[in-house]
Amino acid sequence: MSIEPTGEATTTEVAVRAEGVWKVFNPGLANEVTALQEIDLTVTRGEFVSLIGPSGCGKSTLLRVIADLTHATQGAIQVAGMTAAQAREDQRYGMAFQQAALFDWRTVRRNVELPLELQGWSKDKRRVRAMELLEMVQLADFAEHRPWELSGGMQQRVAIARSLAVDPPLLLMDEPFGALDEMTRERMQNELLRIREETGKSIIFVTHSIPEAVYLSDRVVVMSARPGRITDVISVNLGQRNEDTREAEVFFESVTAVREALRGRTSGAVRSRVGEV
Amino acid sequence: MRRLKRGALGVMWALGGVLISVLMWELVKWLGGVISLPMNTSDSAMPHVWTMIGGVGQPEVRGSETTVLEAVVAASAYSLLIALGGFIIGVSVGLLLAIVMQRFAFMERGLLPFVIASQTVPLIALAPLITGIGNRISVGPVQWNTTYSVMFIAAYLAFFPLSVGALRGLQAPTATALELMRSYAATERAILFKLRFPASLPYLVPAMKVSAAAAVVGTVVAEISTGVKGGIGRLIVEYAREATAQPAKVYVAVFGAICMGLIAAAIVTALDVYLTRNLPKESRA
Amino acid sequence: MGQRLRSVWPPVLIAVVLLAAWQLLVVIQDIKPYLLPAPSLIASNFFSDVGLMWAAALYTGTTALLGLMFGTVLGILAALLAQRFVVVNNLVTPLAAGLAAVPIIALTPLLNNMFNITSRTPRVLVTVIIVFFPMFVNVTRGLIQVQPVQLELMRSMNARPRTVLRALRVPNAIPFFFTGLKIAAPLAVIAALVAEYFGGPQSGLGSRITSAAANTAYGRAWAYVVASIILGLLFYLTVLALERWTAPWTSRSHHN
Repeated sequence: MSIEPTGEATTTEVAVRAEGVWKVFNPGLANEVTALQEIDLTVTRGEFVSLIGPSGCGKSTLLRVIADLTHATQGAIQVAGMTAAQAREDQRYGMAFQQAALFDWRTVRRNVELPLELQGWSKDKRRVRAMELLEMVQLADFAEHRPWELSGGMQQRVAIARSLAVDPPLLLMDEPFGALDEMTRERMQNELLRIREETGKSIIFVTHSIPEAVYLSDRVVVMSARPGRITDVISVNLGQRNEDTREAEVFFESVTAVREALRGRTSGAVRSRVGEV
Repeated sequence: MRRLKRGALGVMWALGGVLISVLMWELVKWLGGVISLPMNTSDSAMPHVWTMIGGVGQPEVRGSETTVLEAVVAASAYSLLIALGGFIIGVSVGLLLAIVMQRFAFMERGLLPFVIASQTVPLIALAPLITGIGNRISVGPVQWNTTYSVMFIAAYLAFFPLSVGALRGLQAPTATALELMRSYAATERAILFKLRFPASLPYLVPAMKVSAAAAVVGTVVAEISTGVKGGIGRLIVEYAREATAQPAKVYVAVFGAICMGLIAAAIVTALDVYLTRNLPKESRA
Repeated sequence: MGQRLRSVWPPVLIAVVLLAAWQLLVVIQDIKPYLLPAPSLIASNFFSDVGLMWAAALYTGTTALLGLMFGTVLGILAALLAQRFVVVNNLVTPLAAGLAAVPIIALTPLLNNMFNITSRTPRVLVTVIIVFFPMFVNVTRGLIQVQPVQLELMRSMNARPRTVLRALRVPNAIPFFFTGLKIAAPLAVIAALVAEYFGGPQSGLGSRITSAAANTAYGRAWAYVVASIILGLLFYLTVLALERWTAPWTSRSHHN
């Protein structure tokens, strides 16, 4: 059904592939909810894809199905050429949430070390790796601080460092900047793009914010609620992002395209229509 | 409705727990007859469960008219009433003190440390000394009697946890809510009744539960340590002395005390359900 | 420093005023010691018999400490079981809730009959039972009430249940553990003391208070009450210090 531009990519180039994914909560009960309906999505390696849509459109659910935090009712998920469960067991992805979800009882550095501990890394290697990552998110000076001593933006940077710890090829991000103020948010977006450039990760990014989705992404996947389904996929071509990008004509055009897609209208912007079921 | 269902389910599980306890009791008793245990499992120390149940109908002493059950029920009801009286006094005084502490910062800074510290110290140790007051004073026309002493102790113990909880509750409104009230030029009195009291409920109700427990335990302990007659505390002590002759009696009395505690908890829970009926679920205790 | 002084002087002032008023009331109204002994009388009794106070506090304190330790260990073990097996949770949790207002101390005479009344055992046992419930309730809560996002994080990192317990649930339960301990420690002292009112060895604070009161030595009885209060505070402050020392994040971690 999918008419993705990258439809015939070989497995090595595919970061994530979802085919015919359904997620139904409380099936057969009075409060049955179809959170995801017939989702087809392919993310190629190194691509930055945002999922955007109103509350309840299932964008977070889709992310969780990919992460194997919940199971699809129907359909197939492939992450890095294996099943979602295998990918989780092999730690082929890192995840960041809206709440930083740092452990208060660990220092900043030991929070970043947590996934490495679970992988059985030695103490010295863990330490070196964690410091490297904190260096990358520019928090090396705060390594021995407690999470609560950091601002919201700094906490989120620690969470991103943690999600990169095992060096997974894929990052799954669930509104990671949703709780931050606008200025911090824009700084964090630039930071994320820089990290992506340095590491070449594929990223799936859930957000409520249209400008954020446009600024960050190669493609914006537009979803609608009840039942949750993909209504549009909009390609964004902003080239190299910098602070001027946010005021560029092409940026606003893409913002408008996404906005109209969210309203369910078509516009002249570049995009590929995805079949509705 | 859902709460009721969950409560009923909880009761079922609790009954299951009781059943398991009964079986364990009999198992230990049986084991005591087979191997040597570090405890006395004889019938006088650990009567069979059915002996306890049978003990309910026995006459209190040989040839007396009242049965053990009647005596225990009467004594438990008496203690429960004293505890209730103590609870009401303690809650009233605690609330009043909380309002004073909320209103006057100096009082809060001066009194709160004592109120908090008093929760950490065995004030119940004072109980035997309150008997000293006994019948020797009168307050106005009211002749003080030892029952009042017990109620006084119950009130005293109930008062402390309540005042801390109430103060926390009265201070719970957010700065925004207070600013809103000020923007209406509301009086302190209006703020108290329209904002602070309703906002205090999520703190007040759990504090009431603690207070009720303190009042019940305080009553029983005060009865034991002051030797005031009529209540369940004294009855337990008396029956314990007669355990060799009638081992079941003391168990019936202890169950009476347990039932009294459960009834007290039920009363407070009913109060909780009533007071928090308009609150969202997550802010309920 | 100035701020610390400001928070210290109001209670001190109120204490001084209250004690002075108490002393004056007793002296001016000529109140008999059986009603209310003067603070000076209590103080002189306390300091003249400080050796006796110490011995009695040591006896009761030992009972309380033994009960607190065993009750805490049992409470933690039961909480771990309750976290692991929902049956245990279903069985014990309503029991713990129902027993909240039950005077468990009333079990003392039964334990006195079952165990050697001339030993410390029945008193320690009743303390164990009283300590068990707040420890169980709070530690269970700490093990179970983990932020959903933290559980998802652990799962996303492919953590096994055992790892989740070690790396997330147990540390998460530590503030709850101390909340329980702050309730249980004063209760242990109270239980150990009140258990002495039911007969048995006469060497603890509770026994001393009653026997002093029976001998109309009210000043001494009140002095024993002061010793009990000091013992209770000691238990509580020790727990506070332990919390600051072992889990410095607890006071900060409840913002979310």
